[in-house]
Amino acid sequence: MLNNQPKHKTIDVGDGAAIPHKSDTGLFTAWRIAFFGSIALCFFLAFGRPDQYMAIFMFVPDGILITFKVTVGAILLAIAFGLIAGLGRISGNRFINGAASLYVEVIRGIPLLVQLFYIYYALGRFVKIPDILSAIIAMAFCYGAYMAEIFRAGIQSIPKGQMEAALSLGMSRSQAMRQVILPQAFKVVLPPIGNEFIALLKDSSLVSILAVADLLRRGREYASETFNYFETYTVIALIYLIMTLFFSKLISIMEERLNDGH
Amino acid sequence: MKIFRFLSVAALLVASLSVSAIAAPKSIKVATDATWPPMEMVDANKKIIGYDIDFLNAVAKEAGIKVEFKNTAWDGIFAGLDSGQYDAIISSVTITEERKAKYDFTDAYTSIGQILVVPKTDKTSKTIADLKGKKVGSQIGTTGAMEVKKVAGVESKTYDEIGLAFEDMAAGRISGVVCDEPVAAHFALKKKEYNAKFKIVGKSFTKEGYGIVVKKGNKELVDLLNKGIKSVKAKKLDTKIHAQWVK
Repeated sequence: MLNNQPKHKTIDVGDGAAIPHKSDTGLFTAWRIAFFGSIALCFFLAFGRPDQYMAIFMFVPDGILITFKVTVGAILLAIAFGLIAGLGRISGNRFINGAASLYVEVIRGIPLLVQLFYIYYALGRFVKIPDILSAIIAMAFCYGAYMAEIFRAGIQSIPKGQMEAALSLGMSRSQAMRQVILPQAFKVVLPPIGNEFIALLKDSSLVSILAVADLLRRGREYASETFNYFETYTVIALIYLIMTLFFSKLISIMEERLNDGH
Repeated sequence: MKIFRFLSVAALLVASLSVSAIAAPKSIKVATDATWPPMEMVDANKKIIGYDIDFLNAVAKEAGIKVEFKNTAWDGIFAGLDSGQYDAIISSVTITEERKAKYDFTDAYTSIGQILVVPKTDKTSKTIADLKGKKVGSQIGTTGAMEVKKVAGVESKTYDEIGLAFEDMAAGRISGVVCDEPVAAHFALKKKEYNAKFKIVGKSFTKEGYGIVVKKGNKELVDLLNKGIKSVKAKKLDTKIHAQWVK
């Protein structure tokens, strides 16, 4: 173990909303204040100022559903892309390794917004795919590259001895990967995947530029006809905040359960 | 005595300030969403051109003011007027009751209507109502979008720019686009790659007037612009500009 200690200290910072853990009391309290505070604020606005806010709350719910659909669809597809590309990144085959590395490098070097435009309208040139599915594919293609690096790191974090032991038991390489390495790696990669999920939930708002009727687009449609920009974006921000806080809590509970079972 | 002198100086200052506030603005900033050809668009040299631009320049000349154009995204163009980033909007803005409640308009300077564009493969649809159960695109917050939403059973899809709606129709993701007549003509008839794919159906089904938008209560600017519009119309300059840009 001592030999494996890294020379430099590393820090662990997620790009989503911080996932609250009971051991971090400060963050845990902050989570509670933010979560229940924003729910209370929503109720206050909807029922305390109904003439300004009630109509907004009535207008956007189908957008929440689309945001959720895009996020869940994209994360599942991104996990699939990521797993394939991640395995490719550690493959001994030069061609597969090269292709997977190229995918990761190219995608990570282009802004998400640009990629969404590009993939959405490029897809439209060649195949006829409905709008929401196109948006999900575009989103997943981008996130798959980040996911690939998570899988690569996760797989490489499993001690080499595991693979050697599995091989000496007479397993084939792919058998060992599927039955020994990946189940262990999945546990390691779950927390960062949770982080990616939260980040993706927020980034899903970018699909509104593709005219997908998500939460943000519904808000923009409402604001553009009523001119109540301040009120509308207050509500949109609150709903996004409640969603990310809710899911970050859910992920933290999931992580705790996993650690208990260890 | 001293206090008297101070007071008179103060009075003079206040008077001069209010005079400069009343005096006609020499130069105004005007927002336009230059993604609405041929009314307003950006040319190859990144210059904002189009019917509205030429028209307002003519109005400004008549009214004796200078105009500086600012390219602004449609979605939020009214918010920018609220926050004082510019003095007026000329961007094919239809005068509607809802908008008049929040902003002041000049007299209508041209009249247009909404019209439907569909793929050439669609042989039957004549109106938005014929596209029930299908998706119809328009630009967010436009009178076109409001017309689509009025028709029950049609799924409205709103785009940031009308060009993106046409591109999505070319990709087969939507079955129709609703926009101002001259814009429809530009995309469906003038653009080569769309000319083979799209057609305009029927005649325009609304009667709308474009107006220049200013902040509520800015009567001075409205009067000045109205004076300019009147003069442009009297000299028939607008028909010349119309002939140059539309059809």
